[in-house]
Amino acid sequence: MINFTINGQPVIANKGETILQAARKAGFYIPTMCYLEKTTPCASCRLCVVETDKTDGLILSCQTPPTEGLGVTINSERLEQERTNIMRLYDVNHPLECGVCDKSGACDLQNKTLEFGVSAQHFSAKDQHRAIEHWGMINYDPALCILCEKCVHVCNEIIGDDAITLQFGGYKSAVIPKNSEVLDCTFCGECIAVCPVGALVSSDFQYTANAWELSQIPATCVHCSAGCSLTYEVKHTSTTNANDRIYRVTNNFEHMTLCGAGRFGFDFDQQSEKNEAEFTKAVEAIRNASAIRFSALITNEEAMILQQFKKMLGIKLYNEEARAYQSFMAAYASVSGKMGFGGSLDAIKQSDGIIVVGGRITTDNPVVRYAMTSAARHNGAKVVYMHPLEDTLLQNVVTQFVKYEVGTEEGVIAMLASTLLQDADINDEMRKFFADLDEGYLCAESNVGDEEFIRIAKSMGRAKRKTLIIGSDVLNHKRAANIARLCAMIETYTEFSVVVVAPSVNTIGVSLICDLDADNGGDGVVGYNAAGEYTMGSIGDVMLKLPSLNSQEGTFVSINHQVLPTNVAVAFYGYTLNDLANALGLKSANTIDYTAQLPVAKGFNGSSFDDLGNFYGPLGEDDRGYILENIDVEIGGSLEEIEDLPEFNGTVVYRCNPVNQFNAYTARTSQLEKEATLSGSAQFAAAAKITDGDKIQIVFAGEMQERIFKLDASLKGTIALVPAYDVAYGAMNEKYRFEKVKIMRMGNES
Amino acid sequence: MHHEEVFTDRNVSEHSAYYYVDIENYPVTGWDKFKQVVKRAAKGELFVGLWVVMREMIKFDIHTVQYPKEKLPIGPRYRAVHKLLRLWESGYERCIGCGLCEKICISDCIRMDTRIDENSRKEVTEYSINLGRCIFCGYCAEVCPELAIVHGGRYENGSEQRAHFVIKDDMLTPLDLLTAGEQSEYPGFGAIIPGSDASVKKTPLAY
Repeated sequence: MINFTINGQPVIANKGETILQAARKAGFYIPTMCYLEKTTPCASCRLCVVETDKTDGLILSCQTPPTEGLGVTINSERLEQERTNIMRLYDVNHPLECGVCDKSGACDLQNKTLEFGVSAQHFSAKDQHRAIEHWGMINYDPALCILCEKCVHVCNEIIGDDAITLQFGGYKSAVIPKNSEVLDCTFCGECIAVCPVGALVSSDFQYTANAWELSQIPATCVHCSAGCSLTYEVKHTSTTNANDRIYRVTNNFEHMTLCGAGRFGFDFDQQSEKNEAEFTKAVEAIRNASAIRFSALITNEEAMILQQFKKMLGIKLYNEEARAYQSFMAAYASVSGKMGFGGSLDAIKQSDGIIVVGGRITTDNPVVRYAMTSAARHNGAKVVYMHPLEDTLLQNVVTQFVKYEVGTEEGVIAMLASTLLQDADINDEMRKFFADLDEGYLCAESNVGDEEFIRIAKSMGRAKRKTLIIGSDVLNHKRAANIARLCAMIETYTEFSVVVVAPSVNTIGVSLICDLDADNGGDGVVGYNAAGEYTMGSIGDVMLKLPSLNSQEGTFVSINHQVLPTNVAVAFYGYTLNDLANALGLKSANTIDYTAQLPVAKGFNGSSFDDLGNFYGPLGEDDRGYILENIDVEIGGSLEEIEDLPEFNGTVVYRCNPVNQFNAYTARTSQLEKEATLSGSAQFAAAAKITDGDKIQIVFAGEMQERIFKLDASLKGTIALVPAYDVAYGAMNEKYRFEKVKIMRMGNES
Repeated sequence: MHHEEVFTDRNVSEHSAYYYVDIENYPVTGWDKFKQVVKRAAKGELFVGLWVVMREMIKFDIHTVQYPKEKLPIGPRYRAVHKLLRLWESGYERCIGCGLCEKICISDCIRMDTRIDENSRKEVTEYSINLGRCIFCGYCAEVCPELAIVHGGRYENGSEQRAHFVIKDDMLTPLDLLTAGEQSEYPGFGAIIPGSDASVKKTPLAY
């Protein structure tokens, strides 16, 4: 606690806070142009200058912490003059195209120019021609750029792409792609979001609508389990079509970060009309069904309706993805005594020691990646990445890469647990389990040396806040239950908090709400966004169309165990699952009536939908939905002996979607790149006897696929990546991600 | 007799333009009224009027406007159906698609579609005004920063339906009319006031 004064008023700052942060918290206004709460100060605008009684010159409040008893003045004639001059310089030769600029008035430069009353150009410089750059989904107009560096900071410190940089050249300075002619990045679009002027804009959105015309609909992203807050901005489609269309997605960039799928993959809505004959058929199909198979792209409320169907009609519920997660967490809870894992995205962000096991985080859950980047950049976190495949997107973040053999996750995690639990206070039975581990065998089979675990122990030993991130590889592992118990041991007996990366937006919600049955195929299955005899939903060629997730209101449970509300961006004119439920005898006017009925026994608090907030406060307070209560459960699980580790030889493929692709929704958006190749290293190509551009046929997860093979120089080893977002109902998250496949060469396209 | 009206002095006096009209007293008694009737009828005032009609008929110089074939010219500042103007020199559309008219329109009857064109400029692909809603207030012309949307002289906007539209093709000056010099500037609200050049300040330039 530091006591100091601003304009004579006493203000208290926490340790580590800057004058600006303390002032904002206390309600004082200091103008800024380049300040971003989530990054280190850019300190490029100098608008936040303040006077103090201990310095002669002006100091930057954004990067200076106060000292005890400091007297700060935040507005005086001198400061006003200084700030006005800064604004006059910003406005030199700034193109007077506000009328067509994509910011359409939502512009920091315009606001500050008016605030400081700069109505004429006081300084002069020779105007210069600056060509507009086209970087795929992003357009950059250097003439409008004010070089605040927000984009550069966010790209480097939060995203981790480090794809753009400032080209210093005085008056000719500009933002340029780093080490490359064209922009080569994951296209998260966060640079667009933070740009205070219209310099960086979405090329799809540019010049299609003005900010004031768009209605803003606060919602939750449906593409991965992070459940990011986003705002769908909608307007009528055109002069001749009055139906709403989503024009763009924006986010509260001060406090959260959105990936490219969330920002650019928004147009997955579909439309339908009410067809009574088809509706009657659907009702009959459910009534006579033996089971309903559904995907985890579903709201809690709809999952609740399905659970009611199960109770009322005695049908089974199939969702192998959520069931795998459910049994993983059941095994986890049997050791930890808590229903959910203890970590969260915030915990990752605060960490200074992170271990990631068993998942390709960059594409599975970009927000976890951003949290890791943030931790690495801001806390100097040591990041250990354990996976059979190296990930080039993480190369600036990972301090130690540990490569293990495919399928040996159980052995690797056992060894990891043994390393981390060395000095932990565990009982004799557990101690004996770790003493009995055949380390020689596990190390040899998993191909992870002893010295690597020693290095992990060393780097983690120094860390204070530690997080273990468990990827979705292990959820469908044959020995998932034992892996879960080992992970739970780590969370329970060490300082580590654990985050399990669920595959889909509401895998966690479904696993909490539904009593799932083992899917043994069989007849009379109704598929809701999944395969079945009768199909309904919003994915694929279904018989009864139901609204997509951006045409629905409801809630999801995110990786933070937060119940997050989402809203209708585009109206849907067909039937909903609730209509079917009402026809089958349930009584509820709206789907969201089920929000209040979500099971309290699983940690839901019974709030009704309309009581849930969906916004961040001005200082970053998270007012979105509520956090699930982490309910205590009975402890009783014990570790099983490690089974013989399986071997995967020959041509092995790994189910991994390209960047910004997740599921059948992202697959049908117009902007996201739809790369659907099997990509592998030269070594893989040699082993599979194929070359770049070959048309190949593989059987993956029981399904025949035809794909083009692409040689990827960034990959190593004999494992190729096969996407799954574009298969019939998307994702295939219910299958183990590695598989040995036979590759048939069908010819060459090039 | 034509009088220049002097507005500064509305009092009737020797110096002002106003004067008293000399009117005879109205007849009061029956006899007086009878005398007045005989006097007027015997003077043949009736035939004066008839002769005027007769004369004009023979001359075939008829002043009746043959509406709708003929239309009376309308005051240049009258606010009738909108027009979209082009730049005189280049012939490009003046409209930059800023959307201010759409925003200011109090009856919410303007809509436009815009997109980014091949030269990375904003292009207005469609522009429509619902004349059934338009109240011809002139705000759109007044707010337009480019003097692009103005009111034209077409005042007929009867329709079979309440909602009826003018679209960009109807409103935009055709290129042949522009080259023929047929496009006219609108002098109503939003137009440049005479002498405004004098109030424009120059940007200080270093070169």
